[in-house]
Amino acid sequence: MITHLSSRRNFLKAGFLSSAVFVMSGCELFSITTPQDTIKVLQNDLFPKAKELGISTTSYMSIILHHSRVSDEDKRFIKNGVKWLNEEAVKMYKTNYVKLLSTQREKVLKSIVQTQWGESFMYNMNSYLFEAMLGDPIYGSNNKEAGWNWLEFKGGEPRPKEMYL
Amino acid sequence: MYDVCIIGSGAGGSPIAYELSKAGFKVVVLEKGENYTEDDFNKDELAVSRRDMFTPPLNEQKHIINEYKEDGSFTRYDGEKAGWNFWNGSLVGGSSNLMSGYFHRLKPNDFKLKSVYGEVEGANVVDWAISYEDLEPYYTKVEKVIGVSGSVIKHKHQEPRSTADFPYPELQTNGVTRWFDKACDALGYASMPTPRAVLSQDALGRNGCYYSNFCGSYGCASGAKGSARAALLQKCSAKIVTDAFVYKLNSDKDRITKAYYYTKLGFAHSIEAKIFVLSAQAIESSRLLLNSKNRFFPNGLANSSGELGKNLIFSAGGSGTGRFIFENLTKEQQEELMQVGVFFNRSLQDWYDYEDDGKKYKGGTIDFLFEHQNIISRVLRESYDDNGNLLWGEALANKVHKRLTTSRVLTFEVFNDWLPTDKCFVGVDETVKDKYGVPVGVINLYGHPQDLKVGEHLAKKAVKVLKKMGAVEVDYSISSSPPPNLVAGGCRFGKNPKTSVLDKNCKAHDLQNLYVTDASFMPTGGSVPYTWTIYANSFRVAEIIKKELKI
Repeated sequence: MITHLSSRRNFLKAGFLSSAVFVMSGCELFSITTPQDTIKVLQNDLFPKAKELGISTTSYMSIILHHSRVSDEDKRFIKNGVKWLNEEAVKMYKTNYVKLLSTQREKVLKSIVQTQWGESFMYNMNSYLFEAMLGDPIYGSNNKEAGWNWLEFKGGEPRPKEMYL
Repeated sequence: MYDVCIIGSGAGGSPIAYELSKAGFKVVVLEKGENYTEDDFNKDELAVSRRDMFTPPLNEQKHIINEYKEDGSFTRYDGEKAGWNFWNGSLVGGSSNLMSGYFHRLKPNDFKLKSVYGEVEGANVVDWAISYEDLEPYYTKVEKVIGVSGSVIKHKHQEPRSTADFPYPELQTNGVTRWFDKACDALGYASMPTPRAVLSQDALGRNGCYYSNFCGSYGCASGAKGSARAALLQKCSAKIVTDAFVYKLNSDKDRITKAYYYTKLGFAHSIEAKIFVLSAQAIESSRLLLNSKNRFFPNGLANSSGELGKNLIFSAGGSGTGRFIFENLTKEQQEELMQVGVFFNRSLQDWYDYEDDGKKYKGGTIDFLFEHQNIISRVLRESYDDNGNLLWGEALANKVHKRLTTSRVLTFEVFNDWLPTDKCFVGVDETVKDKYGVPVGVINLYGHPQDLKVGEHLAKKAVKVLKKMGAVEVDYSISSSPPPNLVAGGCRFGKNPKTSVLDKNCKAHDLQNLYVTDASFMPTGGSVPYTWTIYANSFRVAEIIKKELKI
């Protein structure tokens, strides 16, 4: 129990979204990036409709990464996914994911979706993205209910008065 | 000292708290979870359905699951690592707060499965220690006190009733129910309105349903849903202690003497009472008794028979879906289809028993309902194309938009008997402990092949209805996968102390002051959701305890 709490605290202290991700090329350190930069570009590649609707989903990732009910394992998988995605980009195009052209990024996604981790990572990213876009606006992303309106959906009443964190 | 100490505040314990406290007895209810009222409940999908706010985190409290094959070998799963969650609702009122309230009574033959349908090889089928006639007055009482809405229609398996109809009229329904009724007429099936433990009008000091569109899985913000909290605990003077996880019962050779509980912070407390009532839901009730072994009961409390934890059952069956698409509908039908809030509420019980190849089988119930309105779940179900490839970008957006705005899914759920067997039972794991340091429950799972055969028979009938209605993409899945919210058995009641844990009054054969009143007592489960029967039986046992305390 003590170990669990301690590892969790250390994890959170790191300031996940802006923390360094070391991208390797083989055994060599290729570059350093942050999850925030990669996730912002990736989520837009996965579901550009959100941006069209005026919805930003990246900030919701901060809620997920600090959420008491999201396991440390799931949080670690997000960070690892960012690292592996960039390593695939380096392998294919010798540069980080965010620096690629959109056609190149699409090819990277088509490559990683063939792997078990890649498919899970992309599915998870979609899940968080839809949670942001279609969760209650109180969580900050479903701007003016734009996500709900797009799908002609009306949220259930009563609505939450505060976020569940 | 309390007259009665009740462990667990759900449908099994609350009728006793209600009846005994109203009769003037001093009652305390120990509940592991928190208390919520109507004002606290909202329809936050992220909190309720994505982050499971009403159940314990699996890294703190979990189960070990052994999945058995027919040859007796099994695969062991750690519930936390596998993400296999058997918790249903840790809050005052238990999972009855979160139920959909599909209420069906058992039928007379459910009480005598062995006598009517005979032995089934590999299954431990027995008759109940009581009859339908014994329980009927209490089913009626539940209709009135908890509040059940509906209307009785004549069909070949309609059980006998002491009243002509339900005390509360049917809830409002979606126009698509007319398509359903017409399809059933054409097929010769008897469409019946699903009785619901949801008030269709203001009554019993509670508000009627306001058709929020989010009923199952969510707490009810009006009090219309007949949860044990809204219908019983909020209306009686029983003392409720929250944040009280009971980890041990102490006994001498004849009586329970104390219940020990931990708070979240790990402080230990104890409570003394004349009578103890255990109703922590089937798996946890067996676990507590097994974890409470002592020198008088070395194999677990009330376990001189060796039957404690045995014959765990779930509801067998499965579910299916059919989709109605705009392309096949008139403008008027499209509008009818997309009307949200009101219920679907249709069931079929035509095959509650049936003959196949000259053999009589116990069948079951099929409930029909619209796909749950949770928008995030619905969108995520569209993540893959027809070939199983993950979608993203414009292709995903187009699919999601079309599916959610120009079609709707009608689902069905099949309920049939999960036959009790030697390979389905509750144990405890001496090495794996929960956050309180208490050995976790081990759920040993096995589905009898007949369960699947009967489930298939019923699902095929439901498929016919969906196709007749004009649905496309009709599909179903019948499996031995146990629904965690439909669990019973483990403390069978019966007349013989050598083959059962409880007597016919749900009192332990071995102990003079221990009753178990959740679904643990059920030796067979019937072919309907359990909640109505749990409530009814608990009201029955309340009468017995009342008499005992008055002597």
